[in-house]
Amino acid sequence: MALSRKTPIERIEYAIIVSTLLLLVVVTVQPILNLLAVSLSAPGKVPGMSGLAILPDGLSFEVWSVLLQHPNVQRGIINSIFITGVSTLIGVVGTALMAWGLSRPNLPGRKALFILVLVTIVFEPGIIPDYFVNKRLGLLDSYWSVILYKAVNAWYLIILIRFFEEIPNELLEAAELDGANPFQIFWHLVLPLAKPALATISLFYLVFHWNEFFRAMIYLNDQGKWPLQVVLRQFVIDGDKVAIVGADSANNNTGAGQLNLRALKAGMILLTIAPILAIYPLILKFFTKGTMSGALKG
Amino acid sequence: MTDRRQALTSPKIGNVPINAIRRKPGRVSAFADGWRRWWPYYVMMAPGILFFLVFHYLPIWETRIAFEQVRIVPPNVWVGLKHFQVLFSSSVFWQVLANTLIISTMKMVFFLPVPIVVALLLNEVRGGSLRKFIQSAIYLPHFLSWVVIAGIFIAALSPTDGAVNNLLGMAGIAPRSFMTDTGAIRWVLVFTEIWRSAGWDSLLYLAAIIAIDQQLYDAAEVDGANRWQKIWHVTLPGIVPTIATLFILNAGMFLNADLNQVINLSNDVVRSKIDIVDTYVYRIGLQTGEYSLATAAGLFKAVLGTMMIVVAHFISKRLTGKGVW
Repeated sequence: MALSRKTPIERIEYAIIVSTLLLLVVVTVQPILNLLAVSLSAPGKVPGMSGLAILPDGLSFEVWSVLLQHPNVQRGIINSIFITGVSTLIGVVGTALMAWGLSRPNLPGRKALFILVLVTIVFEPGIIPDYFVNKRLGLLDSYWSVILYKAVNAWYLIILIRFFEEIPNELLEAAELDGANPFQIFWHLVLPLAKPALATISLFYLVFHWNEFFRAMIYLNDQGKWPLQVVLRQFVIDGDKVAIVGADSANNNTGAGQLNLRALKAGMILLTIAPILAIYPLILKFFTKGTMSGALKG
Repeated sequence: MTDRRQALTSPKIGNVPINAIRRKPGRVSAFADGWRRWWPYYVMMAPGILFFLVFHYLPIWETRIAFEQVRIVPPNVWVGLKHFQVLFSSSVFWQVLANTLIISTMKMVFFLPVPIVVALLLNEVRGGSLRKFIQSAIYLPHFLSWVVIAGIFIAALSPTDGAVNNLLGMAGIAPRSFMTDTGAIRWVLVFTEIWRSAGWDSLLYLAAIIAIDQQLYDAAEVDGANRWQKIWHVTLPGIVPTIATLFILNAGMFLNADLNQVINLSNDVVRSKIDIVDTYVYRIGLQTGEYSLATAAGLFKAVLGTMMIVVAHFISKRLTGKGVW
């Protein structure tokens, strides 16, 4: 648009705008690249490395091999995948089934059910009552306490209801006239039409559950059940080196204990975000749409 | 009862009222009719409804321990507002409430404008692939957990080998330990919030900008408006409703100063500065075991928060037509 009559001032303005945004990109990406550089540098070079470096000094995969061979980290990876997978599956199925009913305008009790859901959005009684409910149900120290946390997310439910509502009514009525029951309509008509919305919701749940750490921290005492986020917290935030390298190596400064704590932390952080990075193209594709069409915040 | 059993076991119910012959007049029958047509939907919704009842409504029932004395041997004893009196006479509680309000205000003033500016700048970028590249990069932190972000910033703010202090060092400024600096830690919260969400939130404004009628820009162009005049007179007025909505909704969530963020960026040195209601509830409840007092604090926050968010919703709905739900 109007490329022809660009004055020098306009060009300078444009350059300033683009450089400001590129600076933003650098501020966003550089800290992550620095961690990557630190985690891949030769162990001897790490202590003096600048926080500004984005390329490794020397090249060593020792940090990564120590991390990936560590039983706590391996357990963490398995636990995270298990918890995220099961809770995403439960979440998507439960949300889709409930959204389908709530999207039918003539459903008896529809308004009451909406209020039932909305109340949970505006009124959150806090973690102590939540803790007691889990305790009463015998879920403490069980994977289920974490898997069932926000199993059906009210926001995602609303997004899916809005999507189902857009399915043309004539289509559904035609199916009903053909003698299809609601289960068949849901399975053969609604679900195939809702594939993009279901993909969006699945990614919402996936990211949410992968990143969840607080419930896991307070409900899971057994370290063997900890997801990666909690292992990461113990190691990086609480600075517990023994947690990763083991008491023997840490005390005697042998084996993995000789590795730089900074490099191990960097590797551990990257390990935790690796799955997010792996599905990031999908996230960009579906989250953007879901957020712009659905509720205000995802 | 028998109607229902028959309805549940009959194979095909959708549009053929099997019990039509036995239909009785009046409201009961209308209800039965509705049930006959709609029960499959309720079967499908049952797991979801059950989930909400157990994991959202049972906790509401459990808040009664805010009014009880917890006994090791049940039953608990009803003590009325005793725990609230203890709470309101505790200086720590008022401190954490003040901290919550201060942090929320700081975020509102210094965070909220950033995504607007980012959206305005992004909208000026002409090259589609350049814009996509910038967006892909700045949206990323939104999808990282606060544990991860805290880890990244503890590294980046390290006094010895963190990027920030390395930069300051180049400018001849002595290193500062931001994470253990009581004067800086609240700003760390604001900045990490910007780092995490400013990019992603700009998407909401960008969506509003894209919806602006292109003819308005063409008209402004004909009038000889330059870039800044167009932003000021066309773009900004076009996104004012979105800005208003998000501002009001943020105000409604004023008491939520983000537990996950604080709990991961906090440490013993700076705790007094960023201890918020949620971290207080967690600490005295689950770490010290004062369940009733913690529940009382949580309930106080929840009730106040609900009032604020409902008010915010109706103000927003009235002014801009958009609400929380």
